[in-house]
Amino acid sequence: MDLLIDFAISLARNVVLGIMMGSVYALAAMGLALLFGVANLINFAHGEYVMLAMYMAYFFSVTLVIDPVVSSIINIPLFFLIGLVTYFLFFKRVINAPPLSQIAVTVGVVVLLRNIALVIWQAEPKAPPFTIFSASYEMGPITIPLDKLFATIISITSLILLYLFLERSKFGTAMRAAADDVDAVSMMGIDTGRLFLLTLGISMMLVGLSGSLIMMYQAVTPTSGLLFGLLSWAIVALAGLGSIRGIYLAAVIFGLADALASGMWDPRGREIILYGLFILILWLKPRGLWGRR
Amino acid sequence: MRFWQLASFGGFLLLLPLILGLNDYYIFLTTLILLYTVIVMAWYFIGGLAGQLDLGAGAYHGLGAVVTGYLMIYYNVSGWIGLVLGGLAAMGVAFIVGFPSFRFGLKEVWYALASLGLVLILQKIFLLWTDVAGPLERYIPFREFDPLYMRARAKWFYYYITLGLLLITFYLAHRAKRGKLGLYLVSIRDEEEAAEMLGIDTRRYKLVALLTYSFITAVTGGIYASMVGFYHPILFDGWIGIQTATIAIVGGLGHFWGPPLTSVILLSIAEYLRINLGGTIPGLHQVIFGAILITAILFKPAGIGPYLESLIEKVRKR
Repeated sequence: MDLLIDFAISLARNVVLGIMMGSVYALAAMGLALLFGVANLINFAHGEYVMLAMYMAYFFSVTLVIDPVVSSIINIPLFFLIGLVTYFLFFKRVINAPPLSQIAVTVGVVVLLRNIALVIWQAEPKAPPFTIFSASYEMGPITIPLDKLFATIISITSLILLYLFLERSKFGTAMRAAADDVDAVSMMGIDTGRLFLLTLGISMMLVGLSGSLIMMYQAVTPTSGLLFGLLSWAIVALAGLGSIRGIYLAAVIFGLADALASGMWDPRGREIILYGLFILILWLKPRGLWGRR
Repeated sequence: MRFWQLASFGGFLLLLPLILGLNDYYIFLTTLILLYTVIVMAWYFIGGLAGQLDLGAGAYHGLGAVVTGYLMIYYNVSGWIGLVLGGLAAMGVAFIVGFPSFRFGLKEVWYALASLGLVLILQKIFLLWTDVAGPLERYIPFREFDPLYMRARAKWFYYYITLGLLLITFYLAHRAKRGKLGLYLVSIRDEEEAAEMLGIDTRRYKLVALLTYSFITAVTGGIYASMVGFYHPILFDGWIGIQTATIAIVGGLGHFWGPPLTSVILLSIAEYLRINLGGTIPGLHQVIFGAILITAILFKPAGIGPYLESLIEKVRKR
C-alpha cells in the first residue's frame, strides 16, 4: 500500500514538473514553427540558437549580477538583432532555395555556433549562478519548484501576447496569410522580404526568452543545442503548423514524456523516449495532430 | 593516358605510408581521413543517388564498432568476421527503421531528423546496456601483429584495410551508377511520383540503397574500433552523419567524384587546423571549418565537383 502511495506521489510530482517543462519548450518550438510555417525556412540550427541564448543568459547573470530571468530583458532585443544579422549573412540567400540548400547552410551554422560557444565558454557545463526563485513551495506531498513555476507563467503570458499579435496586428495577419500562401500575400503588395525578416526576428526573440527561462534551472554545454533543436522539431511534428494552442499542447506532451522518463525511469534514458516518440509520430501522424499540412 | 593516370594515382596511394616515413601518427590521421571518405562514398547510395538526406551514419558506424569490438574482446572472434557481422547488424537496424520510414513516406527534413534521432537513441541504449557497452571504454586485447585477428600495433595495417574498403566502395558505387539500380534511384530522387507511376518499386530501391550504405558504414566503425583499440557509446556520434552530409553537398550532391575529393581536401584542412590550433584554443579549428562549409554552400550551391568539371571543360576547349 505504501508502495502505491509513493508511486502516486512521484507520478503527481513528475506530471506537475512535465507540464512546467513543456511550457518552456513551447516557446522554443513556437519560434521554429513560425519560421517554418511563415517563411518556409528549415532552420537546422534552431537548437544552437537556444544554446547560445542560454549562454548569454548565463553571461549576463554573472557579469551584471542579475537573475537569469531578468537577463531576458537584454536577451530578447539582443536575439532580435542576432536574427536580423543572421538573416542578411546566411538566410537571405536561401530563403527561396530548395530544402536541401537550406538544410546544408543551417547545418553549417550549427557547426559555427557550437564551436564559437566551445571557444568562448569551453566544454564544461555552465550552471546558473544563483536565482531568487531557487526555493520551492510545498503543496502537501508535492514539491513545486518556484523557478519552473515562474518560467511557466512567463511562457504562457508570452504565448498569449504572441497570439494577440498574430490575430490583431496588421503584420500578424500578413504572417498568418503568408503561412497559407506566400505568392498571394506578395501579390497583395506586402514586401515578403520584410515579412520574413520580421518573422525571423520574432522567432529569435522567442529563442532568447526561452534560453533565459531554461537557464534558470538547467546547465548548458556547447552540445545542448542538439537536445533543444530535436525537441523543437519533435513538438512541431506532433502539433503540425496549425495553431499556437496546438504547439503548446504538443510541448506539454513532450514535457510530460521528458519528466516521466527522467523521474520514473532513468535520466540517461530520457532521450530514448523523446526521440523514439518523435520517430513514431513521424511514422504514424506525419501531418501532426492539429496540422494543416 | 588514362591508364597511366590511374596507375600513378594507385601507386601513390599504395606507397603513401612509405612516403609518410611510416610515421604512425601521420598514417593514423591519413587512415581516419580515408575512413570518413569511405562513409562519404557510401552516402552516395542513399544521398547522392536516392536523394534521402540521411544523417544517421553515426548509428551504423557505432554499431559496427560495438559488434566488432565486443566479439573480439569476449568471444575472441576475428575482427574480419566481426566486420561482416557488424555490417549485418547495421543492415538489420537500418531495415527496422528504414522500412516504416519509406512506407510512411518520410521525406526531406523529417527523414533527416529521424535518422539523427536514431543515432542518439542507439547511443543511450548502449550507454544503459552495461552488459555490452556502458559508460566505460572496453579495450580490445593487444596484439603486436596478428592479421588473422585483425589487430596490429602498426597503423599502416589499418591504412591498407581502409584503402581496400575504399576501393570496394568506389567499385560498388560505380557499378550502381552505371547499372539499373542507379537509374532507378536517380529517377526516384528527381521525381518520385513519376518513378512510381513508371512501375518502379520506389520503397524497395530506397531500402536497397539504405542497406548498402549502412553495411559499409558499419564496416568503417569496426575498423575504427580495432585501430584505436577500444569502443564506447560515444562512437554513436551525431556529428559523423552531419559531417558526411555537408561534405557530400559541398562536393556536389549526386556527383560521383566531387564528394570524395572534397572529403579528402576538407578533412585534411580540418586535421591541419586541429593540429595547429586545437591545442591552444579548442574549437577554433571547427569555427574555421564551419565558415568554410557555409561559404562553399552559399557561393557554389551546385557543389565543388560540378564546378571543377566546368573548369576542366573550359581548359580543354582552349
